[in-house]
Amino acid sequence: MSPLHLSFYSAFTLSSLGLAFHRTHLVSALLCLESMMLSMYIALSIWPVENQATSSTLMPVLMLTFSACEAGTGLAMLVASTRTHGSDHLHNLNLLQC
Amino acid sequence: MTYSVLLLSVCFILGGLAVASNPSPYYGVVGLVLASVVGCGWLLSLGVSFVSLVLFMVYLGGMLVVFVYSVSLAADPFPEAWGDWRVMGYGAGFALVLTAGVVVGDFVEWWKFGAVTVDSGGMFSVRLDFSGVAMFYSYGVGMFLVAGWGLLLTLFVVLELVRGLSCGALRAV
Repeated sequence: MSPLHLSFYSAFTLSSLGLAFHRTHLVSALLCLESMMLSMYIALSIWPVENQATSSTLMPVLMLTFSACEAGTGLAMLVASTRTHGSDHLHNLNLLQC
Repeated sequence: MTYSVLLLSVCFILGGLAVASNPSPYYGVVGLVLASVVGCGWLLSLGVSFVSLVLFMVYLGGMLVVFVYSVSLAADPFPEAWGDWRVMGYGAGFALVLTAGVVVGDFVEWWKFGAVTVDSGGMFSVRLDFSGVAMFYSYGVGMFLVAGWGLLLTLFVVLELVRGLSCGALRAV
């Protein structure tokens, strides 16, 4: 792995650690998810440049499309949680009563 | 040129760390904006300007704008920025775990340093990324239609998720 590959690899790892060890807000977890998407986009964009494989350039655009769908769904769940519980704190999501 | 790409890649990691340390969401968005601006600059330095501008417009101008005004639902009376010891502890812990993984894993070949930038590829009449993404309309038309259908489906998913009054998917209120 070259040092430039290490940078988006470690950005992805840091964001997934931030998603796993979330704290108070649901929005913070969604932002970590968006950061993972961003590092994957950069990785998928750099790959056709390095290998001069032109047709793979449409893959990051396609991934961005589906990540926009996912972001919209996550924000809809944020709005639903805020309207129901009054805040987006993660300890409100506690149907499991044990 | 190589050192400016190195600076951009370090700023990308710092932006990711700023988001991952989970400050109050008002400050987390700052880290995400920094990471995406720096990522766009990095792609520009490599020569693929089209995917860089797509990232700017769709990600920064579309998705992050929606995130920024949704963050108003997450208001804290005492927001925690990066000066707070809890946020700094998380950030330091993540940086430590990452550094330990890189050092122990020993899979980074530090001599492979340097970036192929736009000046080393020569002149083309049609650039690499323009012609690649234009394949969406010729050979990739199936995935193009699937992606468009998925986006339309997401509109209805969002509508059903936020509909309340006991006829929605999530809300019983």
